[in-house]
Amino acid sequence: MKKILALLLTLVLMASVFTFAVAETTNLEPVELTIMFHGSNVTDDTAVLEKVNAYLKDKINVSLKVIWGTWGDFDETSTMSLNAGDPIDMYFTCSWSKDEYNAYAKKGMWVRLDDPNNNLIEKYAKDLWSTLPEVLTQGATIQGSDGLGVYAVPGYKDIATQNCWDVNVDLLEKYGYTLDDIKNANYYTFGDILKTVKAGEGDNFYPLLVEGMVLERMVTNSIIVAGDSGSTNLLSYYINPTDTAELGSYGNVMLNKFATDEYKKFVDKTREYYLAGYIDPGLAVADTANDLRKNKQLTGQYLIGTQSYSLGYELQASQERKIHVEMVPVTPAYVDTTSSQGAMVAISTTSANPDRAMMFLNLLNTDPYLMTLLNYGVEGIHYNLTSDGLVQFTDKRADYQPWTNGMGNVTILPATVDQGVGFWDKFKAYYGEAHKIPIIGFTFDPSNVSTEQSALVNVAAEYALALDTGAVDPAEKLPEFLQKLNDAGMQAYLDESNTQLTAFLAAK
Amino acid sequence: MIFSQTGHRRRNLRLNTISAPVETTFHFILILFSLFCVIPFLFVIIISFTSEDSIRQIGYSFIPQSWSVQAYQYVFKLGDVLWRSYFNSFLITTVGTVLSVLMTLMYAYPLFRRDFKQRQFFNFLSFFTMIFGGGLVPTYIICKNVLGLSENYAALIVPMLLSPFNVIIMRTFLQTSVPTELIEAATIDGSGEYNTLFRIVMPIVKPGVATIALLNALAYWNEWFLALLYIRQNTSVIPLQYLLMKMQRNADFLAKNSHLLGAEAANIAVNLPSQSLKMALVVLIVVPIACAYPFFQRFVVAGLTIGSVKG
Repeated sequence: MKKILALLLTLVLMASVFTFAVAETTNLEPVELTIMFHGSNVTDDTAVLEKVNAYLKDKINVSLKVIWGTWGDFDETSTMSLNAGDPIDMYFTCSWSKDEYNAYAKKGMWVRLDDPNNNLIEKYAKDLWSTLPEVLTQGATIQGSDGLGVYAVPGYKDIATQNCWDVNVDLLEKYGYTLDDIKNANYYTFGDILKTVKAGEGDNFYPLLVEGMVLERMVTNSIIVAGDSGSTNLLSYYINPTDTAELGSYGNVMLNKFATDEYKKFVDKTREYYLAGYIDPGLAVADTANDLRKNKQLTGQYLIGTQSYSLGYELQASQERKIHVEMVPVTPAYVDTTSSQGAMVAISTTSANPDRAMMFLNLLNTDPYLMTLLNYGVEGIHYNLTSDGLVQFTDKRADYQPWTNGMGNVTILPATVDQGVGFWDKFKAYYGEAHKIPIIGFTFDPSNVSTEQSALVNVAAEYALALDTGAVDPAEKLPEFLQKLNDAGMQAYLDESNTQLTAFLAAK
Repeated sequence: MIFSQTGHRRRNLRLNTISAPVETTFHFILILFSLFCVIPFLFVIIISFTSEDSIRQIGYSFIPQSWSVQAYQYVFKLGDVLWRSYFNSFLITTVGTVLSVLMTLMYAYPLFRRDFKQRQFFNFLSFFTMIFGGGLVPTYIICKNVLGLSENYAALIVPMLLSPFNVIIMRTFLQTSVPTELIEAATIDGSGEYNTLFRIVMPIVKPGVATIALLNALAYWNEWFLALLYIRQNTSVIPLQYLLMKMQRNADFLAKNSHLLGAEAANIAVNLPSQSLKMALVVLIVVPIACAYPFFQRFVVAGLTIGSVKG
């Protein structure tokens, strides 16, 4: 009896293995997949999708439909579609704009990809998983509706953050300084250089062209805490400015950004610069600061700016602004949760074919032909290859500009003419060297303190930018600001974040 | 003859006139008010003709450093996309206005007729939806999944066909301007219900219909949110307003999130339209509806003086 049973079992097992193998090799059912991207500027995708679909039909018998979400609309339309359960198989997702990745993973909107019962990664995306750096796979592993696991495929893009002084070298050298003078100075010792240039260029020239919140993070060495309010950060985690993998001066703790000594020192100095006429008052107006900054950059009317760096940006900036631009880093490049979850693609639980979606994502992230086609368009229409194998875009590219970094593994793309030969090797080297900060993977979940959060954001929106750009007097406004934050429940918000951080570190 | 007539009118006017200082004050206030309405629009027109360099140098100004028609050249180069969405806006507004006026009138008319038995119920039905909405997500699900309003013109027209508020305006208008006797008389003369509505009642309530039509036309012309919700892939049906809103929302997104996006922000900014281009689009959007307004206004003013039963 036992023997027969054993035989039967083996047979069943073999049969299942056999059917599995058959399913793998013989023709797959034709399936239609829909994917929604972020940040696109696409008006005509017919030529591209025709080619993509012809290719996908041969490979995995899939026809692809793309919804080209734009910067302004994606948050609203994706939220609507997810809540309404639209039949969209894959969504772009990330941690920075509305924290769709972590929040929706908790709500059960994303399929867990490494589910022990149905490990899609193991089955269909081994190639993809092995190409991703560890920081990305680690950063993607979060607490979701089906336990601790991976809920989206992280895109291999500019995964590190590095804040830099954006220096107008032409102007700097006009006044007899060199780049080393900037490298050897810091924000608190810029005064002399700024004074000379301001005196030489006249009253309408403002040497410091800053983005208030970026400047604050650069000078105080604080970082964005994933899950904190996006528009105005409230929490601060301080990193070690010399070695970002080590603990910072405060250790592993969340602080009220505005109550630290660093912040006080920073706003006092900024106020001094503001009063001396080094900072344009227009930069303190949130709605127009960005336009102003863009205009001043394009016309080269600045000496030192703030910039969150991405590899090769100084070349791009020099070209756009027609001046010699250099970037002087403030800290080494580091990887935090926000940047490791910067662009991902998740499979929706409403998808009828999660298996096929996973196959598609695997192909997209490992097959240079497909990635190039979907990202840069059709060769001969949207771009041409030069003799060096570099991508030279044509005028038609204006009709088809998806967000390059929002699609996945961009390192398998050919380099563009602007990037130059060997760009991706430099890219991998630069980002590969970036250190992880000690709390990588931590995402604050504000759902328990959402009331406090919205009240705090309103308070911060009133004061933070004005203080960060020196437009108001910190001696008077900073205590007032702190008082209002306290009244709005800052302590509760802070305590909640520290409780979560402690729990996270303990689990790690 | 002519002289005596004007003299007669002047005397009559004098009887009804208010004292000169008061009149001057009123005129002053009204002129000020009109200026407040007109100046921003003039400003928009000026900016649309301002060169981008001038905006960069001195910002928005009534007297720019240099003029340029570059924004309009760019707009017209948009070509197909622009004209297509222009056409869509006209189509949606025309079809939507006609249909919605028809529906409003046909819903309001029975509510006004005292001999309609289910009056109370239908009154309640429209009133109830005015107070309690279903919420955005359920509305979206119904429209998209049940009614199939997605990626087509219907999605931009149907959700706005009937507004309870307009029904109430129309009903009230019917009640005040159409005497029941008139309908009874029409019935006695052998007029059917549809005939009575369209041949007898309709001409009397023309001013009311014009008011509703104007409200609806404005609403349809300015609508962009429906396009955001229901048009994802078939971009050939998007209206002009949404084309502009898309650009505006991209710019807003960038302003809000640029500190999170780092170097990426610069790449996004490249695709944003220039300031003067935005204003040029605003001009293109405003001009047609501003031109349509006087035609409706004729009826609205007429509504104050005419009626079916004189004396």
